[in-house]
Amino acid sequence: MNRVDSTQVNSVDRRTFLSRSGVGLGALALQSLLNQETSAASSDGINLDLPHHTPKIKRVIFLCMAGGPSHLETFDYKPELDRMNGNPMPESFTQGQPIAQLQGQQLRVQGHLAKFNRYGQQGQTISDYLPWHAKMADDICIIKSMVTEQINHDPAHTFMNTGTQISGRPSMGSWVNYGLGSETDELPGFVVMSSVGGRNPQPIASRQWSSGFLPSQFQGVEFNGRGNPVHFVKNPGGISSKHQKKLIDTICQLNQIRNRVSPDPEIETRIAAYEMAFRMQTAVPQLIDFADEPQHILDMYGAVPGDGSFATNCLLARRLAERGVRFIHLYHRGWDHHGDLDKYMKVCCRLTDQPTWALLTDLKQRGMLDETLIIWGGEFGRTPMFQGKGGVGRDHHIKGFSMWMAGGGIRPGISHGGTDELGYHSVDNIVHVRDLHATMLHLLGIDHHRFTYKFQGLDVKLTGVEPAHVVRDILV
Amino acid sequence: MHLTGHIFRFSAILLLVLNGKAASQDLKNAPSEMMPSTISFNRDIRPILSDKCFHCHGPDEASRATELRLDTQEGAFANLGDYFAVVALKPDQSELIARIQSDDEYELMPPPETGKPLTANEVQLLTRWVSEGAVWDAHWAYKSPKRGKLPEVRDSSWGNNWIDQMVLARLEKGGMDFPGSNPIHPSPPADRTTLIRRIYFDLIGLPPTPAQVKKFVADPSENAFETVVDELLASPHFGERMAIYWLDLVRFADTVGYHGDQDHNIAPYRDWVINAFNQNMPFDEFTRQQLAGDLLPEPTVQQKIASGYNRLLQTSHEGGLQPKEYTAIYQADRVRNVSMVWMGATVGCAQCHDHKYDPFTAKDFYSMAAFFADVDDEKHFRVGTNRLPTSRPPEILIFKDRKSKQSYERTKLELQAINRKWKQAKAKREAGASQNQNDTSLSCSPEESLEALDKEKKLLESKLRALEKQGSWTMVTQALQQPRVTRLLPRGNWLDETGPVVQPNVPEFLGPLELGRRANRLDLANWLVDGDSDSGKLTARVLANRLWYLLMGVGISQSLDDFGGQGKPPVYPELLDRLALQLIDTDWNLKALLKTIATSKTYRQSSESSDWLRLNDPYNQWFARQSKYRLPAEIIRDNALAISGLLESSSIGGQSVKPYQPAGYYQHLNFPKRAYQHDRDLKQWRRGVYVHWQRQFLHPTLKALDAPSREECTCERPRSNTPLAALALLNDPSFVEAAKHFATRVLDESDDDFKTRLTWAFELSVSRSPTPSEVDVIESLYRQALSEFQSDQNAVNQISKIGDRAVDDPFDAELAAWTSVCRVLLNLDETITRN
Repeated sequence: MNRVDSTQVNSVDRRTFLSRSGVGLGALALQSLLNQETSAASSDGINLDLPHHTPKIKRVIFLCMAGGPSHLETFDYKPELDRMNGNPMPESFTQGQPIAQLQGQQLRVQGHLAKFNRYGQQGQTISDYLPWHAKMADDICIIKSMVTEQINHDPAHTFMNTGTQISGRPSMGSWVNYGLGSETDELPGFVVMSSVGGRNPQPIASRQWSSGFLPSQFQGVEFNGRGNPVHFVKNPGGISSKHQKKLIDTICQLNQIRNRVSPDPEIETRIAAYEMAFRMQTAVPQLIDFADEPQHILDMYGAVPGDGSFATNCLLARRLAERGVRFIHLYHRGWDHHGDLDKYMKVCCRLTDQPTWALLTDLKQRGMLDETLIIWGGEFGRTPMFQGKGGVGRDHHIKGFSMWMAGGGIRPGISHGGTDELGYHSVDNIVHVRDLHATMLHLLGIDHHRFTYKFQGLDVKLTGVEPAHVVRDILV
Repeated sequence: MHLTGHIFRFSAILLLVLNGKAASQDLKNAPSEMMPSTISFNRDIRPILSDKCFHCHGPDEASRATELRLDTQEGAFANLGDYFAVVALKPDQSELIARIQSDDEYELMPPPETGKPLTANEVQLLTRWVSEGAVWDAHWAYKSPKRGKLPEVRDSSWGNNWIDQMVLARLEKGGMDFPGSNPIHPSPPADRTTLIRRIYFDLIGLPPTPAQVKKFVADPSENAFETVVDELLASPHFGERMAIYWLDLVRFADTVGYHGDQDHNIAPYRDWVINAFNQNMPFDEFTRQQLAGDLLPEPTVQQKIASGYNRLLQTSHEGGLQPKEYTAIYQADRVRNVSMVWMGATVGCAQCHDHKYDPFTAKDFYSMAAFFADVDDEKHFRVGTNRLPTSRPPEILIFKDRKSKQSYERTKLELQAINRKWKQAKAKREAGASQNQNDTSLSCSPEESLEALDKEKKLLESKLRALEKQGSWTMVTQALQQPRVTRLLPRGNWLDETGPVVQPNVPEFLGPLELGRRANRLDLANWLVDGDSDSGKLTARVLANRLWYLLMGVGISQSLDDFGGQGKPPVYPELLDRLALQLIDTDWNLKALLKTIATSKTYRQSSESSDWLRLNDPYNQWFARQSKYRLPAEIIRDNALAISGLLESSSIGGQSVKPYQPAGYYQHLNFPKRAYQHDRDLKQWRRGVYVHWQRQFLHPTLKALDAPSREECTCERPRSNTPLAALALLNDPSFVEAAKHFATRVLDESDDDFKTRLTWAFELSVSRSPTPSEVDVIESLYRQALSEFQSDQNAVNQISKIGDRAVDDPFDAELAAWTSVCRVLLNLDETITRN
């Protein structure tokens, strides 16, 4: 989608448009704009000749399993791990590697805590913890060779979302909205939801959906599963919707009057912002009102309106997708299983497995999966080594873990890449977080090399300065 | 479909306009659409070389593609064996020109795959530069500021001071240096009402009262405005306003930032900043105390508090963190901050490699990090707790007055004495018990005294806790006897210990310091603000640019955060130099510089923009007008509270305050779980600068209004204009409560008829009377609201319950209707705009 095409420019008073755009186009650019020889999108000074190529997808739904689910109990089956169970972890794997909570401790191999089976036409290995995932083996592409660079939760999320562990950079949802704009004028283009349930969860910072140095309209807006869905979206007590409308109209009229006395493009923008604020006040309650959802759909997800569960958020994600929201980021916390891994895997999988299947299946049956990219995974994986913080568990692990992608442009039903015989290092077709970003942007029609924003003198990219590659093997 | 078209058009406009920053990105190229009459290396050529060439032919040796480097004069003119990149006056012998004009894609520079082609205009500029003699000049920001001759102006009647003379001279030449440019006329002076509102917001962050406006408007004396400026600079609220900006720079917040984001003790540092501005502490002293207060001879308590600067960064005690990694993270954070705050430099870019654009090497980065290797703050890796506040030693306890400090100290000594006695008694009893198990007669007395001591001990402990609560803990800097060893980390990798050990030093090309001993933070501070040498003058230029920005809305160099090659050169370099030198000459007198700027005619211009100016100078680089922009987040809050009469501004400083906040906003915080309790006393209505700054979840209204999380240095906040901000101003209970109290003021303090009341309310919120059409529009809302509320007592009751502050009058339909009117007034563009 172009931000503006020339026919749309047509419908705005040209002078206004130009002054609104607030960009010193120079006389030549002005001339060409008026002659419609240059599309506004390329001359508006923001950037960018986007999309760079034909997009495969319109939107992204990122299902973040925060805390770091164990790849060794979900998708990555290693017979050698079971054989070595209880033995000292060979030093050849761990020497010189960053270690989190197991620093200074004796390292022992911990065999799988789950059974694996093969599912789907290509026989994807999926553990018994995830029976609903097994049903969609033919829809998802499992990447078994992920690597990241940060071993503690907070920086690892920051790395996954922004491509660097330094705070203050834009989250990928902000990048995507900055690049492609929004398809809705009544909801934010980047919505974040974090579900309740699970074990004592790791905190998650709003930095993870920050627009960083990008303009703040691209920041992720958090929707709450319980209580007020968006901060300040509800009228103050005693104020009816009709009254609020009249009040906002009054503000806009007065601003209009002011704009005649003291013309300022900011005033026009403010009027538009207040109008959109009111539309949000109407649209958000409609969004969370599931009255138009048949019972079998609610059952399919296991959604209960207002309970704040991952299931309900998955249904909300579909509804947001239908309404044109560009980037939907769902967090489910509680995957940080240093101990009692078996017990808590059951808890987490019970809360997320079926709803994930329901979301994918529902999008598919509505013909929306082809235009959506679903990404599933945590900020890192877990060690092949034993940790015993109350029952068997595993520590943080960044050198090899699994994620999956599904939807438009992704080859369904395959596995990509792999770890070594103990599931420690990614060794085949390694996919770095940057490659994940590059691939996601590619599907959205964006060449990550050319997608930059100037900040402190640098042309900053989501994929950073180190090499990043589109993972072509997983594309259709 | 019509609707769709509307949507696209609408979002496009939003995208284009919501934030000037987005749109400003490529502006840099706009002036180059035209050819200047003379080529200025720093203005016209270096930015092209930096952006398009330095990546491979710049300071970073590792990524230098060939022996050619274009960031130094020697490099650019070097004999490269059989060719020269640049031969002055001879473009046809200059390989650089041949390569940028080449048709061969393998020859062409920059290589097409970099995605950074030169524009035709840039090629022409470079070619002209070579043919006109290839004059080289040092990068403007690293040159010592010079006080040149003041330029001649044709119109000698305009202008109050040298600032005006320098601005006008440029405007008379037509702003940019284009041949045949027509003179630009400065804008007429702002009307007096606008002017007094502007200076109030700029200097104290509060609106003038109607009486203050009236007095100034009616004051015929020549120095009426100067008097106001002096009054405001002397106001204790001046420090609060300035602190907002400084706290952004140094990333001051109430919480640790990483992981559990627990509270930490630091509020006294904010008080110190406010007081320092109010006392007009010279900036060199201001700098020394923050970077090295603890290293000053016999440091005072205040100097120790100031040294809390080194503790403001984000910290963590997340389980499983590797101390060595976080030591590396912290030192990098400190280098980024100190270099950005004082040098306007992105030294942080040299963490993994030499800087790509500026002459900072990776060794410079780690040499600067080494200054902080004595900061003794690593205990928290072990003793950091998930309590609120967490533990971040070293911390000191500060008391407001000597008396409470003394009684605390005394009680502490008493408790220590009792503890000793108690221990002795306990030991005695235990010894006695084991020795005389059968002799009950002897065990009586020690046990009795132990019991008594126990009681006394508990009493003293609770007394001490109570006394402690009268004080405030704050993090300070203490120097380690033996600083940590600092190594250059290859590619920034903390696991790699093969890099050489480095000593504290300033960037080599700007220094280095040669002291014959290990340099410390005090040496760094002294170097940064040494007015006798270039290092201090460069700092003064960074600072002057930011002070100018605070009063004009735009910097003279628009890159407040990058004085390097990729930043924008100043549009008025001589003016910036002179401002910097005034700082030096006045021994870093900040108030004096602010006054010089504020009393200039340039400052006092109208901010109304002609179409021509808006088109030709959209970002106000020429200062042929004032700027107009939305107030900063905290000041929007202060303004609403001041208008409503709720503002609690009688005291300065103190602990952070907690305004109303949506329930559950902290639900994602953990370690510990957080329950937010808004303040129920007068603290609720204190100024925004005191609001609790939760790095991971900044108050949603502040956030919607672009206040930064303060995880990193912020030199310039974006000025966005979004639906989320609209929702906050419309519905945040702080603003609705302010509207309610504003409404009661209207009814209590003004006469009966609607128009008189509305006029009074308008005066209070925007310092002027409403026009007849404005009256009509509002009256229509008022009538509708009144009839609605008259038939809906329930609604009136609900409105009456918003906010904790009781309304004295009986809350009725009329008050409810006026509340709606006041909500409108608090939301007006004019109310929240500094004009």
